Amino acid sequence: MKQKSIVKWLGSLAAAASLFAAPVAQAEEDIVIGGSIPMTGVFAFAGIGIHAGITDYVKMINDTGGIKGRKIKYVPEDTAYKVDASVAAFKKITGQNKVNLYYGDSTAFAKTINPELERMGSIIMAGASFATEINDPKKYPNQFLVGPDYTEMIGILMRHIAKEKPGAKVAFVYSDTEFGRDPIDEGEALAKRLGLNVTGKIMTPPGSVDVSTEIVKLRRAAPDYTIFHGYILAPIPEFISQARKMGMTSQFMGTFWSMDNSMVMKMGEAAEGFMGVMPFRYYYESDAKAPMLEKIRKMRPEYQSNAYMQGFLTAMLFTEAAKRTLDAGKTLDGKNLKASLNTIKNFDTGGVVGVPITIRGNSIPVGRIYRFDSKQQKMLPASDWIHLD
Amino acid sequence: MRIGTAKQSYAHDESLFDTRTQWGWLATLGITLLAFPFVANDYWLYLACLVAINIASATGLNILTGYTGLVSLGQAAFMGLGAYTVAIFEQRFGTPAVLNLLAGGGVAMLVGVVVGIPSLRVKGLYLAISTIAASFILHFVFANWTSLTGGTGGMTVPPANFFGIPLDTSFRLYWLVVPVALTMLVCAANLFRTRIGRAFIAIRDRDISAEVLGIPLLRYKLTSFALSSFYAGVAGGLWAYFFRVVTPESFPLMMSIFFLAAVIVGGMGTILGGILGAIFMTMVPEVLKLIVGWLPLGSEGAVILSPVRTIVFGLLIVGFLIFEPLGLQELWRRVRRFFHLWPFRAQG
Amino acid sequence: MDWLYLLEISLAGIGSGGLYALTGLSFVMIYKATKVVNLAIGEMLMLGAYLMFGMASNLGWPVWMAIVAAIIGSGLGGAIVERLAIRPMLGESPISVFMVTVGLSSVMIGLVELIWTADQQRLPEFMPSDPVMLGEAFIPPKLFYGFLVAAALILIALAVFRFWRGGVALRATASDQAAAYSVGINVPRVFSLAWIAAAMIAAIAGIVVGSIGGLSSSMGVFGLSVLVVVIVGGLDSVLGALVAGLGIGLLEALAGGYLGGEYKLLATFSTLILVLMVRPYGLFGTHEIERL
Repeated sequence: MKQKSIVKWLGSLAAAASLFAAPVAQAEEDIVIGGSIPMTGVFAFAGIGIHAGITDYVKMINDTGGIKGRKIKYVPEDTAYKVDASVAAFKKITGQNKVNLYYGDSTAFAKTINPELERMGSIIMAGASFATEINDPKKYPNQFLVGPDYTEMIGILMRHIAKEKPGAKVAFVYSDTEFGRDPIDEGEALAKRLGLNVTGKIMTPPGSVDVSTEIVKLRRAAPDYTIFHGYILAPIPEFISQARKMGMTSQFMGTFWSMDNSMVMKMGEAAEGFMGVMPFRYYYESDAKAPMLEKIRKMRPEYQSNAYMQGFLTAMLFTEAAKRTLDAGKTLDGKNLKASLNTIKNFDTGGVVGVPITIRGNSIPVGRIYRFDSKQQKMLPASDWIHLD
Repeated sequence: MRIGTAKQSYAHDESLFDTRTQWGWLATLGITLLAFPFVANDYWLYLACLVAINIASATGLNILTGYTGLVSLGQAAFMGLGAYTVAIFEQRFGTPAVLNLLAGGGVAMLVGVVVGIPSLRVKGLYLAISTIAASFILHFVFANWTSLTGGTGGMTVPPANFFGIPLDTSFRLYWLVVPVALTMLVCAANLFRTRIGRAFIAIRDRDISAEVLGIPLLRYKLTSFALSSFYAGVAGGLWAYFFRVVTPESFPLMMSIFFLAAVIVGGMGTILGGILGAIFMTMVPEVLKLIVGWLPLGSEGAVILSPVRTIVFGLLIVGFLIFEPLGLQELWRRVRRFFHLWPFRAQG
Repeated sequence: MDWLYLLEISLAGIGSGGLYALTGLSFVMIYKATKVVNLAIGEMLMLGAYLMFGMASNLGWPVWMAIVAAIIGSGLGGAIVERLAIRPMLGESPISVFMVTVGLSSVMIGLVELIWTADQQRLPEFMPSDPVMLGEAFIPPKLFYGFLVAAALILIALAVFRFWRGGVALRATASDQAAAYSVGINVPRVFSLAWIAAAMIAAIAGIVVGSIGGLSSSMGVFGLSVLVVVIVGGLDSVLGALVAGLGIGLLEALAGGYLGGEYKLLATFSTLILVLMVRPYGLFGTHEIERL
């Protein structure tokens, strides 16, 4: 134990002697949201939306005076969707600011930084990952998912299928990545519980160009519903158009990251009737009572992606957790923030999510089925909001 | 060579650092390394550890590519082997960190020898391609041997334990990573003062002549491969302690290309080259980020950053190969020679 | 045993094998003329496909014009690459030149991301999409027409090699550079020619591949399988590239069809290791080439 104290002492000496980029003195009141944001690289389409969403919500809050008089400061850094760059950004941002809230860009980053978050104990983090593994308050006490995890997304889809066509045949098509494999085993188990029949589990190699053999397999599985997971765009359109040419009548479904309207529009003809689960409303939905969406549309007249909504909602939940912590007269640290977050019950998001949300564990297990309408070139609601328990 | 350093014995002539000035600089460097963690913040410590790990791995590749003339595009996969070994040892047995690192190096070395076997039949480029094949096969094993490696989800690594102190911050880890990297550097530098190292160089310069001179190609090529993989394995083990999560996607082919680039840019076939290359290539993205941040591009700037980084990365490889095949190390040497010979002028 | 399944899988495999063969041809052309092992072959494909995307989608040109422009543009790109990056490396060790192409591939990826971002894109549909049936068996239409294009192009290329002056000069340079010089062949020009022709072929292959699998800045991965194809076939053998292309395509399809998607690359690269151990100069390659 003696050594430990020596190390601690050395550590404080290090902090005291900090020469390089010593933490910038800043107004004590600022509440800082740090962010490893993939502004460039393969995930840039999402990162740019996320960045805009967080920026807008932070601006909205600051325009109305911040939280209990304290301004919110958003400090993003580009990561190009690379884990080492994300960690570097984290170290840089937390080294220069007193950070309480953080947005991470990938599952790998969430897992990498988790021990550091626990050690620091001052931050709660959400991010662009919906990995099932993170939805575990014991293992990831300082993180949460803004939306349902991937398994829950599949669960919502299945519930819809089971209602629409009991005993239907379902096939999974997924990529051979951590992202792709994430919900498959549990999804299969759930299908059994719901009385659905899984006739095919087809894994495609990552980055594979030609999926003809997989399509031949899919035809053999003859599913009523095909669920794609682990893709953003390719090879979904090729699957759908070839399967239709073969005379298959399957419905095709996707999960969050393949559901953005501009992405689905890129599918061309294959997009018609493409369905999937989405925990947030689309930018253009104007029929519902959604004051927040109207504000967003006023701020940004052009279409904003689902990633924008996710970033926006993340910032909203961050600030809500901070507000509740401060209201309770507690200090802003990871434990208190997370506890405050978990007090959120039947919370009205202003229409970003169509129903009031409750955060019990690490996720928000709610979503709705949308279907693409090629006449309007829009994803339109195809079900009520589905709540998992 | 420095002027005014008359050597009086062969031992002196062979020594790694032969002048007082060099020892002086070395001492300065040592003090800097010792003092660095106390003055640097977390971000710089993070970069320092990353650079040290990259130096270790790049030096390993330099032994193979720079000194023996065999190209490998499997360095990242061998790092993966080391990282997984460390993760498994740490998770299952909780053995001391140093032992785990050695085990990581050992496993990588064994596999490296197996992969190196085709190098006996085929030369140069074929070997590079067979190492690409090996990295894909290893990736498959990492991703699909779920009971051992945790599948695509990978493994989390408990912090290295040093006499009861968990090495869980960059500050603490620095004291593991940097000494290990330094030891590896000194070993590598000394390797080329031995028969084995000189045999490597002979093979690189002309393998047929080397064989005629009585150097068994088979044994030495495999030795080189084994050493290089060992370095990669240990570096990978450090990587595992550093990032604390190991997944199959942590070690892409791009990473192998990164190390090859580091060796090329730094200077093939010199220890200093590996060091300079690893520092340079690790810092380039961070420096570019700073530069793009300074440019008055507004939010547009952020969007071009990643492609520009990729282009600069490629141009550095191409540029150095065409214009300065000896790498940064040669530029450094020229600068040094200028000061050594001053006030006289260096010719050529 | 489901014979129809086997037949469909095999046909799909041969179809994609045609694309491997075509890209392999482009690779062999460069290797024969300039002895450069071109790791950037996948990225040359990508560049061609993106050029077409740029003309057709961004500029709104008609598809056929976009294709022609993309092919010409790629040829130009090939010439520039050869002149700026490959020519200065003449006489350097093959390993250095190989690493130059590694750098080039990175530059090309960066360029594509700079102009078109890293987002996935789709080419406009231009191939007939009605299903092609062989009896009961279904052949994916794009693969079928892609295969026809590949076959036609390969035949043309072979004819050019055989009968056109430039083609003969290329073969002469390939078999003996010094002798080619002495009979008055402008060897540097042959080098340029080989890169231009190879880039054009790669562009066509890229357009076909892109229309099947969509565009992304990581589609160059396709080139790695092609690398296996040419090594298995023998680096300097056109026939080898064709046979190995079809063979690897078939093998990948069977592995994917019967074992699962994750076994595709495993099968490819295990074959590579096996061939390197047993027959390092490939099925039809010239034996001497291992003595670099």
